[in-house]
Amino acid sequence: MSTLSRPEEQTASEKAYRVIDTDIHHSLPSWEALQPYLDEPWRTKIVAPNSRVGGLGVEAGRSRLDSTPPDGGTPGSDPEFLVQQLIVENHVDIGILTGNIYGWNVHPNPEYANAVIAAFNDYTIDKWLTPHDQLRGSITVNANDPEAAAAEIDRLGPRDDMVMVIIGATSTSPYGQKYYHPIYEAAIRHNLPVGIHVSAAGTGIAHSATAVGTPRTFFEYHSGLPRIYMTQLISLIGEGVFEKYPELKWVFIESGVVWLPHVMWRLDKEWKGLRREVPWVKRPPSEVIKEHCYFTTQPLEEPPNEDWLLQIFDMINGEQCLLYASDYPHWDFDALHVLNHLPPNYRRAIFQDNAQRLFNL
Amino acid sequence: MARHLVCRASDLPPGTRRIVTLAGRSIGVFNVKGEFYALRNACVHNQGPVCVGRVSGTYLPSAPDEYRPGLEGRVLRCPWHGWEYDITTAENLIDPTQKLRSYPVTVDDGNVVVDL
Repeated sequence: MSTLSRPEEQTASEKAYRVIDTDIHHSLPSWEALQPYLDEPWRTKIVAPNSRVGGLGVEAGRSRLDSTPPDGGTPGSDPEFLVQQLIVENHVDIGILTGNIYGWNVHPNPEYANAVIAAFNDYTIDKWLTPHDQLRGSITVNANDPEAAAAEIDRLGPRDDMVMVIIGATSTSPYGQKYYHPIYEAAIRHNLPVGIHVSAAGTGIAHSATAVGTPRTFFEYHSGLPRIYMTQLISLIGEGVFEKYPELKWVFIESGVVWLPHVMWRLDKEWKGLRREVPWVKRPPSEVIKEHCYFTTQPLEEPPNEDWLLQIFDMINGEQCLLYASDYPHWDFDALHVLNHLPPNYRRAIFQDNAQRLFNL
Repeated sequence: MARHLVCRASDLPPGTRRIVTLAGRSIGVFNVKGEFYALRNACVHNQGPVCVGRVSGTYLPSAPDEYRPGLEGRVLRCPWHGWEYDITTAENLIDPTQKLRSYPVTVDDGNVVVDL
């Protein structure tokens, strides 16, 4: 079994810093695995046909073929195999599990979604966090039922092994709106950042996968993922969420990075002419973003000239806001060495310092 | 410094303006509640004809979802990209270091006079 290379300052005997992976998709071996954590009617429903949130309906090839556990099960479902393949072979010291059911916010039945999400959180604690102290968890909540989401955060927020609240990036209204604020207030009560992750666009009660309709292929959908994050970020700024909640930190997971200068500069420019529409935006939006928002690097853009990436990082104050993420076990996984061309100070900040500060690790 | 006659003060009542060319420069002369102000007709952003813009109030910095009207009759909004200025100080509302060029105005024997 091959071992992936690590940054030069991370020798086998001496490490300059810890590597924190902020987006690891553990999963259920099967839906049956949730049944011990569910009451009826959901215990029966979870294994019924057509009862769950579906995919985009396009061929995706979602996981690395080599991430299939030895028993042939679902990639990301075997804790021991995940720890071996990711934590050991990819030289990760602390792994933050993000799961894969935050997209249940677009299930038409919120009570069912709430139950499944809570069961998944319990399963995560039981099978993953308790036996493996290199792992941390994210509290998945149903963003479409903010009161229930806040209750779930209050239930699990006191745990030391839960370091983030995670919701699907696809929502039915932009996340800046007041409807969602109980989620943010609960996250602040427990000193947890809120993360959003690419989720079930175009399925359930979600809108079309893009504002102009449904693309034919996963290639088209996935290439344009930042559009979802742009809309959410602009909403958070325009609604004054960070003005209302100065303690709130936000994590954009799996959005890539290079779209950020565009949005920052666009927001700053529009604000200069349209500030009377948003009088609660009192500072340049780019400054607010730099103060409150973090971004995972994966899927890292790969420009033909590597130096351009560093220039972009400088434009967004990346040394303060970027977090390493592998996205294991998905097909577009980023190993540590995708950041090898960055200066050492950047690597240290992205692999360790920013995540350590944000998640209190 | 040269003195330039703009008009009779009685011809520029409160809430009105007049755009004149003085020594080759386009200048807006405003009457805000009985006080006169002269501003260069060039936005610091992109040199747009700011003095042609709408004069109104604005919404002052506030908490989210709160609207606090203020500066009524004092805010000049550039017609090109919407930058707002306080006519009485010539300052941009979000960045006071960004100021329109302004000139002293006096009323002399009933005449509005701008010093360039």
